Amino acid sequence: MVTSEYDTIIETKAISKTYSENGVPVHALTHVDLTIRRGEFTAIVGPSGSGKTTLLNVISGLDTPTSGEVWLSGELLSAMSGRRLSDFRRDHIGFIFQAYNLIPVLSVEENIDYIMLLQGVPKTERHRRVADILKQVGLAGYENRRPPKLSGGQQQRVAVARAMVSKPSLILADEPTANLDSKTGAGLLDMMRELNRQTGMTFIFSTHDELVIRKARRLVTLQDGTIVHDEARS
Amino acid sequence: MWIYFKLAWRNLFRNKRRSFIAGTAIGLGLAALIFTDALIIGMNENMIQSATASFLGEGQIHRKGFRQTQSVEATINGLDDVVADLKKEPIVRHFTLRVMNLGMISSAANFSAVELVGIQPETEAAVSQVDEAIIRGSFFSGPNDHDIVIGSKLADLLEVGLGDRVVVTVSEARTGDLSQEMFRVSGITRFNIREMDAGMAFIRLIKAQQIFGIPDNVHEIAIQFTGSQYGGDESLPFWEKYSQNGNEALGWTKICSELKAALDLSDFSTLLIGAVLFGVVALGIVNTLFMSLYERMFEFGVLRAVGTRPFGVAKLILCEAGALAVLSILLGNSIGFIVTAAVGKMGIDYSGIEWAGVTFRRLIYPVMEMRQFVIYPSWTFLLTIIVGIYPAVYAAKLSPATAIRKSL
Ligand SMILES: Nc1ncnc2c1ncn2[C@@H]1O[C@H](COP(=O)(O)OP(=O)(O)OP(=O)(O)O)[C@@H](O)[C@H]1O
Ligand SMILES: [Mg+2]
Repeated sequence: MVTSEYDTIIETKAISKTYSENGVPVHALTHVDLTIRRGEFTAIVGPSGSGKTTLLNVISGLDTPTSGEVWLSGELLSAMSGRRLSDFRRDHIGFIFQAYNLIPVLSVEENIDYIMLLQGVPKTERHRRVADILKQVGLAGYENRRPPKLSGGQQQRVAVARAMVSKPSLILADEPTANLDSKTGAGLLDMMRELNRQTGMTFIFSTHDELVIRKARRLVTLQDGTIVHDEARS
Repeated sequence: MWIYFKLAWRNLFRNKRRSFIAGTAIGLGLAALIFTDALIIGMNENMIQSATASFLGEGQIHRKGFRQTQSVEATINGLDDVVADLKKEPIVRHFTLRVMNLGMISSAANFSAVELVGIQPETEAAVSQVDEAIIRGSFFSGPNDHDIVIGSKLADLLEVGLGDRVVVTVSEARTGDLSQEMFRVSGITRFNIREMDAGMAFIRLIKAQQIFGIPDNVHEIAIQFTGSQYGGDESLPFWEKYSQNGNEALGWTKICSELKAALDLSDFSTLLIGAVLFGVVALGIVNTLFMSLYERMFEFGVLRAVGTRPFGVAKLILCEAGALAVLSILLGNSIGFIVTAAVGKMGIDYSGIEWAGVTFRRLIYPVMEMRQFVIYPSWTFLLTIIVGIYPAVYAAKLSPATAIRKSL
C-alpha cells in the first residue's frame, strides 16, 4: 500500500465541544485527537451521553467544535463557508442516521437520486447508478416504493444506498442499527462491511450493540467526552 | 430546482387536513376581498346611478358661471349649434333641455321656496327618472300648459293633491319683474332625496321659458351617454369640445364632487380592508409554515446533512409557501366566485340608507370583474412568498446538528 498524506482521511486536533444547558456548561468532547485512515471500518462506542453523536457531527461539519481543528481529506473544515461545507458533504460524506433517514414523500429511487441531482449527474447515469446500488443492498425492484411502505431494515438499506451512491470517500453512521432487531442489525453491518471491502470507502459508525461491535475492525471507546480506549482488531 | 417543486407539492398533501384548513383560511381572506371589491363596485354603480340617473344626467352643459350664480340670464350660448352637434355625437344616447329658476310656490294653505324647472317631457323621461318617480298622477300626459309636477314633501307642506291649484312666482330675466302664474298639480314625485322631494317643481319647458322671460333659451342640457364609462371619464375629449364659446360641459364627477369624493373614499376602504385581511392571512401563512417546519425538523436536518445548501432549504420552504398559495388561490377564487355570483343574483337590500348625500334606491348587486380574480390572487401569491421568506431564512440558518438533535 502506498503511504501518502491522503492515506489519512480524518484528523482531529484537540477538539472540544462545550454546550451550555441552561447556563451550565456541558463538556460533550474534551481534547479529542483522532486519526482515521482511508478504508477503515471503525466503531465508536461508549455509554449514552459519552459524546459519540457529537464527535460524528463535528467530524462531518454538521456541528462546529468549540476549539480544535478538524481536517477532512486534507481540508480544514472550520475554514469553509456554509455553502462550501454543504457541497463538501454532498461530494465527500455519506450519512446514515438511526431512523427517518428518508424523505417520506419521495420514492426509494427519488431519495437516492436526490444527492446526484444536487451534484448535477445526468439522468441516464443516475438511473444506472440507482439500479446498481439497489442491487448491491439487495433491494432491486423497490425503486418506486415510498419509505413508509418499507420495513425498518429495508429503510436502513436504502439509507446505505443513498449514502454510497454519490461515491463519497467517507460514510458516517450514527447508531444505524439502533432501531433494528439484532439479527437485522448484524445483517446490515455485514452488508456495510462487504461494501467497505469492495469499494474501499471509509466507514465510521457508532453503536451500543454487542453484535455490531464485533464486526468492527477498529474500536474507539469514548467516555465523558474523551477517548479512553482505541484498539485495532482483525 | 424541479425537485423542490415536487417536494413542496407532495408535502402539501402530506398533512391534508392542515393544508386544507390553512388553504381555506387564506382562501377565505382572498374570497372576502374579491367579494368586498365586487360589492363596492356594485355600491358605487348604485350610487352613481341614483345620483345621475334620477335627475342630474351623466353630463351637463351650462353657460360658464351658471352653476355658481344660478343667474336666469346665464343661458347657454349658441344653443342651436350645440344641439345640432349633440345630435351627431355618437357617444350621446339622449339629451334634454332644461331651464331653472328659484321662486315661490303657494297654495291656499301654505307657501314655500321652490326650484322651478322647465323640462321637455319626452326627452326628460329618456335621460332622467322624474317620470318614474311619479307616485300619484301622471308625468305631463295631457297637452295642458298649466300642468305642474311637484315633490311629495312639497305637496304635504302645501297641503295639495292632484288637481289642486298652486301659484308660482318667479322673477323674470333682465327686468327682474315678478311674474306670477297659476298651475294645476298633475303629478307628485318621490325620489327619496330630500332636496328634490321638498324643493322641486317641474313644468313644461316652453311655459317656463315664457314666465322666466328667456324664450328659446335654456340653462342646462342634461346628457345620457351610450355607456356608463363616459360620464366619469374626466379626460374625455367631449368635455373640451363643448366647453367652447363661454359654455361649460362637465361629467358627473365634477357636478357631484361630493359623490366623487365618497367613491374615492370607498376605493381607499377596499385598500384598507385588503391590508387588514392580508395581515391576518400573513399570520396564518407564517404559522402554517412554521408548524410544518418544526414538525419536520429532522427531515430538514437530513436534507442539510446530505449536502443541501442553506439556500436550498430556503428554496424548499418558499416552494412550500408557493404550493400553499396555489391551493389557497384555487379555494379562494372558487369561494369568491360562488359567493359573489350568488349575492349578485339576489342583490343586497340597502334601500333607504343614505350615504354621501345619496340614498340607495334599489338593491345593490356586487359586480364581478376578471381583474378581481387575477389581481387579488396575484397579491395573495406574492404575499405568501414574501411572508415565507421569514421561515425560509430561519430554516436556512438552522444548524443541521441542532435540527437533527431537536427532533429525536
Ligand atoms: N445541543 C446540545 N445542547 C446541550 N447539550 C448537548 C447538546 N448536544 C449534546 N449535548 C450533551 O452532550 C453530551 C454528549 O451527547 P451525545 O449526543 O454526543 O452523546 P452520545 O454518546 O451520542 O449519546 P447516545 O448514546 O445517547 O446517543 C451529553 O451530555 C448531551 O446531553
Ligand atoms: Mg448519540
